[in-house]
Amino acid sequence: MKCPRCVQRIHRAAASCPHCGFTLADADARFGSEEVIIRCLTDSAGILRRRDRERVEAAMERITRRFPQVFVAIYTGSLGEVANLRQFGIWLLNRSAFEDVPLQKPNEAGILLTVDPESKAAGMVFGYLLDPFLEEADTFECLSRAHAYWLEGRYGEGILRVLTHLDAILAKRSGQARRDPEYFERKVMPPAQVGDWARRIRAGHRPVVGEVPKEEPREVVQ
Amino acid sequence: MVFWLPTLAGRAAEEQAFPAWDGGEPAGWVVDSALLTEEPEIEELGGPHAEVLEAKLPIPEAVVEDVAASPEIPEEFLMAYFSERPKSLLTDPQGLLSNSEFGDCVSFLDYHASDSGIDMFVYIIGGGQDIPSAVREEEMIERFFSEGRPAAIVYYYLGAPQRTVVYLSPSITDAVSAAEQRRAIESSVMQALEKTRAADQLGRFLVQMSIRIYWMERLTPGNISAQEAVPNLSSPVIPNRKMVEPVKVQWLRELVEKWGVAVGMVLAVVVLCMGFGVWWRARARYFFPEFEVEERLGGAHAAGVGAVISFASAAVSPASQRDQVPDYLRRA
Repeated sequence: MKCPRCVQRIHRAAASCPHCGFTLADADARFGSEEVIIRCLTDSAGILRRRDRERVEAAMERITRRFPQVFVAIYTGSLGEVANLRQFGIWLLNRSAFEDVPLQKPNEAGILLTVDPESKAAGMVFGYLLDPFLEEADTFECLSRAHAYWLEGRYGEGILRVLTHLDAILAKRSGQARRDPEYFERKVMPPAQVGDWARRIRAGHRPVVGEVPKEEPREVVQ
Repeated sequence: MVFWLPTLAGRAAEEQAFPAWDGGEPAGWVVDSALLTEEPEIEELGGPHAEVLEAKLPIPEAVVEDVAASPEIPEEFLMAYFSERPKSLLTDPQGLLSNSEFGDCVSFLDYHASDSGIDMFVYIIGGGQDIPSAVREEEMIERFFSEGRPAAIVYYYLGAPQRTVVYLSPSITDAVSAAEQRRAIESSVMQALEKTRAADQLGRFLVQMSIRIYWMERLTPGNISAQEAVPNLSSPVIPNRKMVEPVKVQWLRELVEKWGVAVGMVLAVVVLCMGFGVWWRARARYFFPEFEVEERLGGAHAAGVGAVISFASAAVSPASQRDQVPDYLRRA
C-alpha cells in the first residue's frame, strides 16, 4: 500500500501518510468535497467512439456478471499532472455515486480505471473489498497490456485489453482465495501490537488451553 | 530342210495319242493322294458301285461361329477394366490408344464432365475383342455407378464403333427411355463411321455422345447441371495415363477408411468437451471472501492506489515504469 501523493509505503491502517501527511482531505481540497454523480463509463475526454463504447460496456458487463460482488468504472478526462491522477483516482472512488450501480454494491467493491489523454497517463485504483486480493503489480500488468494501443491513440482497444486481463487476474485471485482464504485474511489483519508479543513471551509461546495455535501472518507491515 | 521335215512327222506318229473320255467311266472325285499310293485305282476296286470319297465341307453354322469367335480381353487386363470404379474417365489399360490420342480424349471427357451433370466413362476395348462372359456388366454398373454423379458408361470397341454398348447409371435410366438411348448410340455410331481412322472415329463418337448426353440431361428430373451436381469425391479428375493412385494417397485413403470414423468421433468428443469447458467458464461465477479492512488515509471506500502508467512516449516502455516512483523523482 502506497501513498497516492508521495508513492511511499504506508501502514495498512495509517490515518495519514507518515511521509507526506496525505489524507483524503487533501484531495477534497483539490477536487472538491461534494459527492459526484457519474455513470460507470464516463468519457469526459471524448476519446471513445460509439463502437468502442459499446464494446467497452460489454466487457464491463461481463466482469460484473462473472464477479457479482465487483463492478468496474472507467473515467476519462484531462487532469493535468500524473500526480493528480493518483490522487484523483482515490478521491473519485470515495466521493462518487455511480448511478448505474446497484445500491447493494458499495464503492468498496469498485475498480476504477482513469485515463487522461492530455497528460497521457492512466491509473487504476480499487476499493477495500479487493484490497487483500489485488496488488499494485496486478494493476500494472493490466495497464501494460494497453500501453501499445494507447500510444497510438486507440483508447477503446487499450481499455478492452485492460479489462480482459483484469478479468483473468480476478478469476485467478478468486480461486486462490477459495483455496486459502486465510492467506488473504492475514494481509488485512490488524497489525500486531507490542502488548501481544509481551503476552506471548510471558506465556512461553505456549498456546492457551482450548485455543488453537495460529500461524504467524506472513506480512505484518506493508 | 526337206530331210528334216519327214523325220519330224515320223517321230510324231510314233507317239501315243491323247486319251479320250468315255461316257461309261464312273464320275466322281479321285483323291489326289490316291495317285501317290500303290493302292488300286477306282476301276480296280469294283466298278461303278465303288464308294466315292467326298471332302468334308464346313457346315454354315461352323463358319459363322468361326467368324464370330473373337478373342476375349486378355486376363491380365480384366482387373484394370472391371475391378473397381475407374479413376479416370477414360480406361485403356491395354494401351490401344497412343499417348496423344489418349490425352485428347481425356481432355475432352474432362471438359464434358465440367460442363455436364452426367459424366461419361469410356472403356476402350479392341475392335475384335470381347468382354468375357464371366463379367457381368449390368451388375458392375450397378455396383460402381449407383452412387455419386450420374454417369454414362461406354464400352467402345476401337475400330468397330458399331459394337459400342452404352449403359446409364441407375439414377438416370428411369428418366431416359430405351428408345432415346438407342437413338443416342445410333447417331454417335453414324458419326463415327464417317471417319476411317479408329482414333478419329472415337473422337467423333465422343463428341456426338456428349451432345446426346446433354439432351439426356435435359430429360432428367431437376435438370442436373454441373454446377448443381453434388461433387463426388470419387469422381475422376486425374487425366493420368496410368490411372494409378500414388501409393501415399492409397495408404492415406485406407487409413481414413479404417480409422476415419473412430478419429472423427474422438475429435467430436474433444470439441464437445472443449465447448462445454468454454461454456462452463463463461457461466462461472467468482466470489471473494469479505474481510474487515481498516480505513486508511481517511478514505471511506478506497485507499488502494494501484499502478499508474504513462504512454506519452514510445521510448518509455511499461517495463521501465514498473517501479512506481514519485513524480518529482521521475525523469521527463
